[in-house]
Amino acid sequence: MPICPSCEIKFNNWYDVAEHIDLMANKRSDKSHVMWLNRNLSIKRLSKEELAKKLEDYFSTPEGLGMWIRKRFIEKFYGENPHPFILAMQKPTRGVLLGYVIEHQHFLKNWVKVLSSIVFKTDKDEVVEYELENIAVEFIGYKGRPSHYELLLRMGESLGMSREKILNTQPLPDTQFAINTWRRIAEEKHWLITMACMHSLELVADRSLRNYGAKLHYFDPQILTSDEYSQAVKDFLREGYEADVSHAGEALHLVEKYAKGIEEEIQINVLKSFDAFSKYLFARLERGIELEPQLMRVITR
Amino acid sequence: MKIIVNGKEAGSKETGCALCGATWGEYYEEIDGDRLFFCCDFCALEFKNMVNEVKKRTGWSKIDELIINGNYYTGRTCIAKLGEKEYKFYVKFNEEGDVGIFKEV
Ligand SMILES: [Zn+2]
Ligand SMILES: [Zn+2]
Repeated sequence: MPICPSCEIKFNNWYDVAEHIDLMANKRSDKSHVMWLNRNLSIKRLSKEELAKKLEDYFSTPEGLGMWIRKRFIEKFYGENPHPFILAMQKPTRGVLLGYVIEHQHFLKNWVKVLSSIVFKTDKDEVVEYELENIAVEFIGYKGRPSHYELLLRMGESLGMSREKILNTQPLPDTQFAINTWRRIAEEKHWLITMACMHSLELVADRSLRNYGAKLHYFDPQILTSDEYSQAVKDFLREGYEADVSHAGEALHLVEKYAKGIEEEIQINVLKSFDAFSKYLFARLERGIELEPQLMRVITR
Repeated sequence: MKIIVNGKEAGSKETGCALCGATWGEYYEEIDGDRLFFCCDFCALEFKNMVNEVKKRTGWSKIDELIINGNYYTGRTCIAKLGEKEYKFYVKFNEEGDVGIFKEV
């Protein structure tokens, strides 16, 4: 059922959505509707007819919901203007990696909390299993391997920052904003929406994105064999590089399987999650700049 | 004030929002004697905060020309001009529309 992607009011058809958005954006200059249009559809004003058509096209899923999510992710993070943090990851400096560590510990802690809300709400055993395994991999350790959280902290230590210092650093405002966004989704929305919003973020390290039009990898894979980086850095990056390949795909497959009837609601919340993620990735870079002012070059080039 | 957003003139209903270049919306604000068009009050707020920050840091009383490159996601790299003088800076706004990151470049 067509929904306003900004305020989530439901309508009977896309023309009615367009009429509503036209009223909110053009007559009332409502910032949240205007921002949604600017960020997702067009910065150029469209007629109601054009807008209805564009909305319908934008939300249509000829290749399935999972592929829609994948393509939108690529557009936002790996398209013509890749996210500055991903650009910085092509040859990460100590500042970039430490920015990653300091902000990401907060992300990971919140990650498992939000996933546990899916476990709490779902009645599908395969989803419970998938999420519990994910929680173990991220936070507890799995099959004799240290958790991603532990590998992250070791990476930070190998870069010369003590575990205590890392753990005692509060998140930057953009990280906190993003965390709040995901917590709100987990508290208020259907578990399937939460699942889509969280696991679509794992696409960031999915190597197969290149097959769907991504211009870059998350990082230059040569890092994994380079002498310029410590073993702990390589261990952390390799884990994501290898684990998330099929991982995000598996979650998207589950989402698609159960999504009937709430597809649009999933789509618009996934877009909100992407915006939060963009802010959060930027916070990693902002933290890096604090430690290494020359990093400004990455964003002002 | 002459304004260029991502390579195109902006600041009127025809040319688009003085901060982001969008032609949605219908919001006006008078800044330094010019009636500028914005897509929403939030862009107007951010624009005002940015202009005030530049004035504070340069000591200028007005800006003749402002060149803005970037967007919400990446932040904006800008050049402000007054007569022959140029001031280059990077700005990213926070959730409240205040200047979050500001660096001279
Ligand atoms: Zn709406
Ligand atoms: Zn604007």
